[in-house]
Amino acid sequence: MMSLPKPEQDYTYYRVGTVDDFMERIGRKVMIEQSNVAVFKTSEGEWYALENKSPGPKGGTLAEGIVSGTVLYDPICDWRIRLSDGQVLDPDTGQVRTYPVQIEGNDVRIGIPKDGGGKDNG
Amino acid sequence: MEEIQQRRRLVVVGNGMAGINTVEHILKLAPNSYHITIFGGEPYPNYNRIQLSYVLEKSKAIEEIILNDYAWYEENGIDLYTGTEVTAIDTEQKTVEANNGVKVTYDQLIIATGSRPFMLPVPGADKQGIIGFRDIADCEQMLRTADVYKKAAVIGGGLLGLEAAKGLSKLGMDVTVVHLFKELMERQLDATAARMLQTELESQGLKFATGKQTAEFLGSERVSGIRFADGTELETEFVVMAAGIKPNIELAKASGIEVNRGIMVDDYMRTSAPDVYAIGECNEHRGVSYGLVAPLFEQGAVLAKHLCGVDTEPYEGSTVSTQLKISGVDVFSAGEFMDAEDLSIVRMHDDWRRIYKKVLMRGGRIVGGILIGDGREMSRLQQWIRTGTVMTEAIHTAIVGQGAPDTANTVAELADDEIVCGCNGVSKKNIVDAISENGLTTVEEIKATTSACRSCGGCRPVVEQILQHVLGDQYDSAAAKKEAICACTTLSRDEVVREIKEKGLITSKEVRYALEWNNKEGCSKCRPALNYYLGMIWPQEHVDERDSRLVNERMHANIQKDGTFGVVPRMYGGVTTPEDLRLIADIAVKYNVKMVKVTGGQRLDLLGIKKEDLPNIWKDLGMPSGYAYAKALRTVKTCVGSQFCRFGTKDSMGMGILIEKKFERLDMPAKFKMAVNGCPRNCAESATKDIGIVGNEGAWEIYVGGNGGIKARLAELLCKVRTDEELLEIIAAFIQHYRETGKYLERTSDWVERVGLQSIADTVVNDLDNRRALVERIEQALGQVQEPWNEILENSNLREKMFDDLSVSTVKE
Ligand code: SRM
Ligand SMILES: Cc1cc2nc3c(=O)[nH]c(=O)nc-3n(C[C@H](O)[C@H](O)[C@H](O)COP(=O)(O)OP(=O)(O)OC[C@H]3O[C@@H](n4cnc5c(N)ncnc54)[C@H](O)[C@@H]3O)c2cc1C
Ligand code: SF4
Ligand code: FES
Repeated sequence: MMSLPKPEQDYTYYRVGTVDDFMERIGRKVMIEQSNVAVFKTSEGEWYALENKSPGPKGGTLAEGIVSGTVLYDPICDWRIRLSDGQVLDPDTGQVRTYPVQIEGNDVRIGIPKDGGGKDNG
Repeated sequence: MEEIQQRRRLVVVGNGMAGINTVEHILKLAPNSYHITIFGGEPYPNYNRIQLSYVLEKSKAIEEIILNDYAWYEENGIDLYTGTEVTAIDTEQKTVEANNGVKVTYDQLIIATGSRPFMLPVPGADKQGIIGFRDIADCEQMLRTADVYKKAAVIGGGLLGLEAAKGLSKLGMDVTVVHLFKELMERQLDATAARMLQTELESQGLKFATGKQTAEFLGSERVSGIRFADGTELETEFVVMAAGIKPNIELAKASGIEVNRGIMVDDYMRTSAPDVYAIGECNEHRGVSYGLVAPLFEQGAVLAKHLCGVDTEPYEGSTVSTQLKISGVDVFSAGEFMDAEDLSIVRMHDDWRRIYKKVLMRGGRIVGGILIGDGREMSRLQQWIRTGTVMTEAIHTAIVGQGAPDTANTVAELADDEIVCGCNGVSKKNIVDAISENGLTTVEEIKATTSACRSCGGCRPVVEQILQHVLGDQYDSAAAKKEAICACTTLSRDEVVREIKEKGLITSKEVRYALEWNNKEGCSKCRPALNYYLGMIWPQEHVDERDSRLVNERMHANIQKDGTFGVVPRMYGGVTTPEDLRLIADIAVKYNVKMVKVTGGQRLDLLGIKKEDLPNIWKDLGMPSGYAYAKALRTVKTCVGSQFCRFGTKDSMGMGILIEKKFERLDMPAKFKMAVNGCPRNCAESATKDIGIVGNEGAWEIYVGGNGGIKARLAELLCKVRTDEELLEIIAAFIQHYRETGKYLERTSDWVERVGLQSIADTVVNDLDNRRALVERIEQALGQVQEPWNEILENSNLREKMFDDLSVSTVKE
């Protein structure tokens, strides 16, 4: 499950909006081509993008979760997910796909793997 | 380093309940004598297998059933390999080898491999959709299946099968229990008890095919049905086998250790190989392999003492008892339970109350019993059976007599070695000693020190009574139940609220800093709780923290499992108009709503709405939010009342609408439901509401603390009032008193029990000054509430950021 970050050149960056389009600690869903991404801005001003898909047994989305520091509480199953690498924290297990975020001036840009990230689960 | 090398090396194969319980004992008895290595086949730390039934019915999450988290292993210096199976034991070289290539030498080895479901060896048993019920993986598969398929069959009408069936049925599946015998739980119940149990479960929606022998599973790749030996067939899309268990003996057997049905052990859990022990469901002791936890704990205690060189009596076998974990169905059985020539029997059978009690005696001594429908005497009966107590007048009265038994005496009478906490094997003496040796005063401390109460929580009332019994006058009921509000702090709800007031803290960030939270931004438990407390204490100053609201309250709609939402507009008192109905219908069509449903709260739910459509629908509806998602007033149900009904004494609809309009939108510790009835026939069901109002000729009766949910409770009469003004005033005072003293997420049903009805009546009914002050404070808070849907519609910025998705397609950069 542990996927290592790919080298920069393997990503295509998409501008998804400006920094003001996002609220602190309140996620927002962004559709980039076929990828459904949940974007979060923490109170420290850090940016994270995760696949907008709950890793829990019931499925569902992630964008509506509570953000605490750099941890996201899954809105459906309350699992703790580390924003930086999508790792599900103890006592649960799993990992959510993450995407790199670049802030350039006022623009928010999100990197999508060029190979489409090898769509898992078919 | 040196010290570690001198320690003996203990290796445990099997990271389940028996193995870890033994290790816990060893760590207590001789903390530094072993260097411990544990192998577990499952990718989890030790969890409470018993409670998988709760996970299945979704009353518990997986993290709640973890008994020892990873930190525990680390703190105790244990080398843990999860998701790893031991493949070979060399009993001469004294090594074990695992499938991850690790090889470890042992001085002492404990085999605790448990057992696995027995899969019926009939044709088709290897088809897809046929599983056992043993571990988290099975549970997860069942949860997933229930999402996709409709019809399930559970093979086996024993404890496990019935719990699985009930779980699947709660998940919405149509479940049939297939059982070889005519009677359910035939190894624990007699015909009468089995019939009562079946009737009860049928009334809860389960179906039964009893006296049916499974001959074949039908279907191509996936199972589509079952054919029985009598030629009949049952259509099904999913099968759970719960027809028994098989001890995991293969590893031991391949290593030359003597096995029969289980791994053979003596009274000290020794196997045929030197320094190799077997414990739990994988072993066979004096011809018996057990399938319940109580024997494992008894075995574990003996083995731990033996390994630590502490004197111990040999293990001589266990008397087992069975208790079905299906809520609302009390079923208990222990010892002998079938009528026989040499037994005399005390029997009480009440078909109206649906209670059946049977106690069996041999030569005057109690040797077994069954309790159906009333399990209160369970633990005492178990003790009487174990000790072979002689039947007395007092025992007879306690079992079949009229009055409820005096609970205080029950605790005093409990024998020292009686197991109080069945989940964790903690005896009364363990608890009493822990209290007196460590000066414990709260259940939380007892939990931390002894592990009692740590699992299903069913023993909590008894633990509380023991605490009360030991402390006598020093027992402080409020302090005893003190609980920290979450893991980020050690402070209880009352302490946090007091500090907020005293220190004048206004934002939750200030609270976390000033009160030294160990997690700077809090967690999903304390964030919403603090936001509520702050709003309650500072109605005017506190700014609602949207990012601390759980999803439903943040989005002002009910999220569904597929990420869509449900919209429930207000329909005050359950009363609507043709115009409103037409509007709702038009909107349902316009937005292609997946379903329109009449809720249990007398209004309409529009289901399956996309997030981005929510604001548009609210706008088109032009109706206020029904708050079907909130910790606030949900509905005020009303009956027809004096406007139409021939029995009506009061205008229940009018009063219900008035009340709903007055108290809507105000945050409360938990959801809040009301009902107003025109007469005692109670057509709007006051008995299960937080406040239920019943009209009488010339008066209103106010009932409080009812609940129709997880733990149903009947509302109790708070008082009777003559005028409408007084009615509104007492409701206002009651709600405000609850707002000010309730714990976040505590329904009034629990709050009334905690605070006491009398004390509430004194505060909100009898003490007029206090009543008025409460009313004043709630009026102030009510002055601040805002209609949330409208608020979002008026704030286009908020609306856009919260409800609109961003999307990017081809414009790459
Ligand atoms: C819509 C409705 C079912 C229906 O179609 O009838 C409903 C739907 C939900 N109920 Fe309920 N409850 C509904 C009436 C009830 C009732 C009956 C009543 O109100 O008369 C009860 C039992 C009475 C009581 O609460 O005392 C009820 C007891 C619960 C409970 C258990 C509460 C408890 O304290 O034990 C929960 C779980 C919780 O709140 O934690 C719950 C939770 C839920 C949630 C919000 C679960 C969730 O968090 O997703 C459900 C949302 C479903 C969805 O996908 O939209 N629902 N729920 C009913 C809405 C009534 C309304 O108009 O507002
Ligand atoms: C749904 C359910 C409900 C239950 N309800 C009750 C109840 O109400 N009351 C009651 O008393 N009992 C109940 N039980 C039974 C109870 O859970 C068991 O008696 C108890 O868990 C047995 O403990 P154990 O340690 O012997 O086995 P387990 O808890 O099964 O532990 C054995 C562990 O060993 C691992 N293992 C096996 N082979 C290897 C290997 N070669 N290498 C490494 N690891 C290995 C397995 O993966 C497993 O994790 C219930 C069981 C289930 C499944
Ligand atoms: S509760 Fe009484 S008044 Fe109301 S509808 Fe029923 S019978 Fe009529
Ligand atoms: S009996 Fe289950 S926690 Fe004590």
